[in-house]
Amino acid sequence: MSSQAQTAVADEEAHSGPARRWAEFAPASVLRFVFREDRFFLILSVFIGILSGLLVVCFHYAMGWCQIYLLGTGAAPSTVRLLLVPTLAGLVIAVLVIHVFPEARGSGVNQTKAALYIYNGYIPLKAAVGKFITSALAIGSGHSLGPEDPSLQIGASLASAIGRRLRLSRDRMRLIAPAGAAAGLAAAFNAPISAVLFVIEEVIGRWTAGILGSVVLAAVSSAVVMRWFLGAEPFFRIPTVRMQQPSELIAYSILGVVGGLASVVFSSGIAFLRPVCKRLRPWTQYLQPAVAGLLTGCIAVLGAPQVMGAGYVYIDEAMHGQFTWQFLAILGGLKILATLMSFVAGTPGGMFAPTLFIGAMLGGAVGGAQHVLLPHLSGSVGTYALVGMGVLFAGFLRAPMTSVFMVLEMSGNYSIIVPVILANTIAYVISRALQPVPIFDALSRQDGVELPSMEEQREEDVLHVEDAMEPPGEVVLDSRDTVGKAAVLMEQSGREALVIRLHPSGWGSITSQDLKALVQTDRGSQTLEAVLGKDQVPFLHPDHPLDMALRYVDRWPLVPVVNRADLGKLEGVITEHDVLERYRDFGRE
Amino acid sequence: MAKGPRRLDLSRYLRRKPLDLALLTGLAVVAFVFVEGLSRIYFAQQRSLAERWSARGTADLKAQNYPAAVADFRSSLLYARDNGIYQLDLAEALLGMKRTDEAYNYLINLWEREPENGMVNLELARIAAQREDTHQALRFYHDAIYATWPGNQEEETQNCRLELIHYLLRSHALAQAQAELMALEANIPDDSPEQVQLGQLFLQAQGYQQALHAFQLGLRSNRRNHEAMLGAGMAAFQLGLYPAAERYLRDAVITSPHDAQSMTWFKKARFVLETDPYLPDLSEVQKNRIALNAFATAGNRLKVCPAQGSPAVPAAVLQGLEQQWTKLKPQMTEWRLRRNPDLVNTAMDLAFQIERQTVIGCAAPTQADQALLLIANLHEEN
Repeated sequence: MSSQAQTAVADEEAHSGPARRWAEFAPASVLRFVFREDRFFLILSVFIGILSGLLVVCFHYAMGWCQIYLLGTGAAPSTVRLLLVPTLAGLVIAVLVIHVFPEARGSGVNQTKAALYIYNGYIPLKAAVGKFITSALAIGSGHSLGPEDPSLQIGASLASAIGRRLRLSRDRMRLIAPAGAAAGLAAAFNAPISAVLFVIEEVIGRWTAGILGSVVLAAVSSAVVMRWFLGAEPFFRIPTVRMQQPSELIAYSILGVVGGLASVVFSSGIAFLRPVCKRLRPWTQYLQPAVAGLLTGCIAVLGAPQVMGAGYVYIDEAMHGQFTWQFLAILGGLKILATLMSFVAGTPGGMFAPTLFIGAMLGGAVGGAQHVLLPHLSGSVGTYALVGMGVLFAGFLRAPMTSVFMVLEMSGNYSIIVPVILANTIAYVISRALQPVPIFDALSRQDGVELPSMEEQREEDVLHVEDAMEPPGEVVLDSRDTVGKAAVLMEQSGREALVIRLHPSGWGSITSQDLKALVQTDRGSQTLEAVLGKDQVPFLHPDHPLDMALRYVDRWPLVPVVNRADLGKLEGVITEHDVLERYRDFGRE
Repeated sequence: MAKGPRRLDLSRYLRRKPLDLALLTGLAVVAFVFVEGLSRIYFAQQRSLAERWSARGTADLKAQNYPAAVADFRSSLLYARDNGIYQLDLAEALLGMKRTDEAYNYLINLWEREPENGMVNLELARIAAQREDTHQALRFYHDAIYATWPGNQEEETQNCRLELIHYLLRSHALAQAQAELMALEANIPDDSPEQVQLGQLFLQAQGYQQALHAFQLGLRSNRRNHEAMLGAGMAAFQLGLYPAAERYLRDAVITSPHDAQSMTWFKKARFVLETDPYLPDLSEVQKNRIALNAFATAGNRLKVCPAQGSPAVPAAVLQGLEQQWTKLKPQMTEWRLRRNPDLVNTAMDLAFQIERQTVIGCAAPTQADQALLLIANLHEEN
């Protein structure tokens, strides 16, 4: 007996009966089971979540300390501090970003996407260190930016470093950065569901059980760590939210329009000004964050210190009706200006918090204005502010699913779902119509990187079999027909190939050349069944993607397309020529 | 033979993965401990800053430096966002600055989180009262009464109810005020000096019977209490118990001879008594004299009414009354009254009728007219 045969016998013995059962519980089998790479990756996701959560908590403290030691402990810093601190911090940040941490510049979302699609999951750990230091300094000194995008990148970068250290396979390495990103975002946002959705919707772009499992585990463990240290309270104390009457939907529609237009102004401003700032002379790069900081300070001195930093405190106040609707509208406008300046100047920091701030202010303003103009329509200002946050998220970040779930997760109230969906959809549609390129895609293109657009992927037209198939024609051969009859029918039909209905079920096909060959070999009196046997041709359904047809059309001259409810009903036929022709036409379209 | 390298790989793999896992666990534990330490420092600083700013705010609030207090409490809330005490203090400072809407929003948010907080409900009730939103004011006052209070719950509840009663009296919601007073009464012991205050509130709410009872209880614990005497006299007067009223008021005048109010009410009571011919223990002569005076007073009252009448008193009614008075006038002598005792009743009935008809639409009634009206009402009730 050869060694291979011996091994096979041994394997067979091991895989049957009591021996097999014993083998399942052997320590080696358990270890092999647990440490199989896909399972180990899930365990690893939990560790990534925990470590990302810890880092984001430290980042939170760092921002708090920067604010206390730079801007002072009071709610109203002195004029000198308001002007000097963001300006000087801007200078320091510029030096750090240009000379020490060039990786800290740019969007964390795009860097994670680049790691997934270009660099096989590689994000340098230095990017996390740089983002941590420069973003904490920027946000703590009052630059109008948020901590979520840096947190996302810190998580992704940490995950990438761990993956490299553990020498994961290339496929796992590609997925580890998004898992870290979800962990970072979940900890920064205190919203694990939104974080998972955002990463799936904007970074990975596809749902599979493996990806979802690791992303969810990372996000949840990170959120748990964050809540352990910072408390389970949400960032915003959500007021009592209710929709009193259906006619309020009119008011929410108006909010959707306002939010959509504001998103367009915001994203167009960034798309236009960022390249302008980048084209300026190199030495101006040192001054741009400082100038942005000075202008933000000026806005604060002129009466709107709320625009400084992430602004969560003021989102909370807006939701609780602490400002007049006119002031809310002014704050929304000024925040767009301040964030625009800070971001295009290359100051590290994210746009999530400013987006929420602008949305809350505009939402509150619309709600307040409607209270005055149409008192019978409006719910509480807080409800409008809450919906407004989702509206800007949908319009500016172009993440419609995340925007809806974010509002629901933050409010913990599902009665608001109808206005949220309505307003978010309106804002999304307006933003998409007026600003076709989403902001993340615009930023990556400005940086010279062509990352896949998740929005384009979502809305990409997919060709189906029904788009390319031909009608079945009147002639369908029967497997009980003789070859001679079939040859006559083929000639009458004028086709090169015909489908054959097999008995008791199934389909086959035959070309005119094959029939001619059979007739020439004197088999014209035999049935098709006798000469061809029971070999079936695989069939397709009209809704199958056209890609699926490519698997068969080169091997069979004619592939039947049948009805899903009645497999004996022929809906059409498809050939290689049909498929290629349809793809050619699609390319021209 | 072929299995050798595979086994080697597997064992290396299995050796490596648990080691990696152990390293990761160790790293997570170390990082966790480090962040825990950092957290303690961070939150200790946050607490300290919150307390420092709150202390400054409290000092500014006491000094009525409201703008500074608002800034201080806002700062303290930066470090203790959910601290209800700081929020309440901030609301008070905002109220001090007359920024009622902002204060209301802070309070309503606090109320949503702590609907049973007595102080929050009371402040909201005050704002609603200020806005003349009676419905909301009553709701928040009642919530404050039944809310939880730190310290002496009973005292705070009583104070809330008292504030509500004052609000109802200001709003002329007398029936509701009486109902609240009755609830308050149940919690005040009979021998408490607060019975006098209770009586005064009943008096304002026109709950004269309860007022008299409260004043009597007050007098029981202190027989020389001038307030109680005056209050009891006034309550008795309103109840038509003029002899009792005169007695209480006389005592009040004796206790405080310079108190003008006591004297006025005493004179009023005396005058009513002097104008009432139906008092027991009057001699026939006294009774007839009082009836003659009352008849004359009624005649004078008719004279001050406009001849053409008024919307309240049509001319025909006035003429009818005047004809009756003129017809009865010749019979109104002491001699005839002595001969016909029923004439007193006839004369007094006409006098009462005249006073009632002319109370509106004619000139202001004199003290004698008012006394006649009071006696008319009393007589009608009896």
